[in-house]
Amino acid sequence: MSSARRVALAAAIVFAALYTAWAQAPAARRPVEPAPRLTDGTPNLGRVAGEKGVWDVPYIQNMGMRIPGPDGRTAAERGTAAESGGRGGAKAEPDVPFLPWARGIYDYNSRNNSKYDPEGYCLPPGGPRMMATPYPMEIIQQPEHKRIFMVFEGATHIWREIYMDGRPHPQGDELNPTYLGHSVGRWDHDTLVVDVVGFNENTWLDYYGHPHTDLLHVVEKFTRPNKATLRYEVLIDDPGAYSRPWTVAWNIPWNTSGELTEYICQENNRYLQKLTDDFGQPVLGGP
Amino acid sequence: MRTQLLLATAAIALLRAAVPVAAHHSFAAEFDAAKPFKLTGVVTKVEWQNPHTIFYLDITDEQTKKVTNWSFEMGSPNGLMRNGWTRNTLKIGDVATVEGSLARDGSPHGNARAVVLTSTGKRLFAASSQTEAQ
Repeated sequence: MSSARRVALAAAIVFAALYTAWAQAPAARRPVEPAPRLTDGTPNLGRVAGEKGVWDVPYIQNMGMRIPGPDGRTAAERGTAAESGGRGGAKAEPDVPFLPWARGIYDYNSRNNSKYDPEGYCLPPGGPRMMATPYPMEIIQQPEHKRIFMVFEGATHIWREIYMDGRPHPQGDELNPTYLGHSVGRWDHDTLVVDVVGFNENTWLDYYGHPHTDLLHVVEKFTRPNKATLRYEVLIDDPGAYSRPWTVAWNIPWNTSGELTEYICQENNRYLQKLTDDFGQPVLGGP
Repeated sequence: MRTQLLLATAAIALLRAAVPVAAHHSFAAEFDAAKPFKLTGVVTKVEWQNPHTIFYLDITDEQTKKVTNWSFEMGSPNGLMRNGWTRNTLKIGDVATVEGSLARDGSPHGNARAVVLTSTGKRLFAASSQTEAQ
């Protein structure tokens, strides 16, 4: 080994050791605090009075890598599959039960690097992608009003209301298809269970481009195992695109000093202005 | 071989340390991570806007002395402020060095990953949406 190589090797080892120490230090240093509770004993999924804090939603690009295995951990959590760069299309994701058309669309989105991602044009994320778009989010509980708000800085500065008053979903034409759907919630012990239907078809499930239809029904489970962590688990039940329901999950870390700021994506939407289709024609149309 | 592996591990660790704070349109559809650049020029304009702040540099070709006005895309103002920027960090006439990835279409445009202001030497992460390994 040349001396230059030895120096490089030593530098790499020192760097790797420092990085590992840095990456692990916060968890080791900070004691795990229990999840806070409201005065009635319900888990508090938001701030404690007098403190700041937001949920730092992670960038989950490919939900196909977030399917819990028999041990409860996902491929991404086991470190056995890279989140990035794995544009293997449907055949690389045997656990995603694609229907044939959904498989074809997903492969198309994989091949063109998600060029036509609706969120790239500043349309909101629909369904579980709200919890996968990397901007801060707050959960605001109003038990006296039997409702919970989730406020998202990112995507298009959206908010959703979860009805906790026991009402059912609207039926038939009363259920208007929307980006975020109709959410009704309940507490199952310490888990907030939210049932959502009524999605339009203008969104993708994730950045990688898993499609869905307006038959999409999701069941979200929110738990706060400790103050620093929100566990998000969601059942994706869409008989229009998948042959059976499938579940994905990830953790969302609490940022103790965070606050929401403004993000209005639509301001200068150049990407859509420049976007051309597969034949080189402007997507927005000519003059 | 072992050295290369360790260096690769260290490089991946570095990439991971720069957590993206913005995700918007497809990075890979517009930019090519296999075409990195490092360019220095004079600031001519700053558009402090959503969903991407864009700034412009006059860059002189060292050989031909030809000046080209380049544009560089960063994250949104909310993400940039969390990374230490303000709307006045870059001013017209400042000299700055930009690192990032070139546009796929060959135009004088790039995705900025980091910006160094020559007068202060301070390096700022540009809240880039680049996360996909190519």
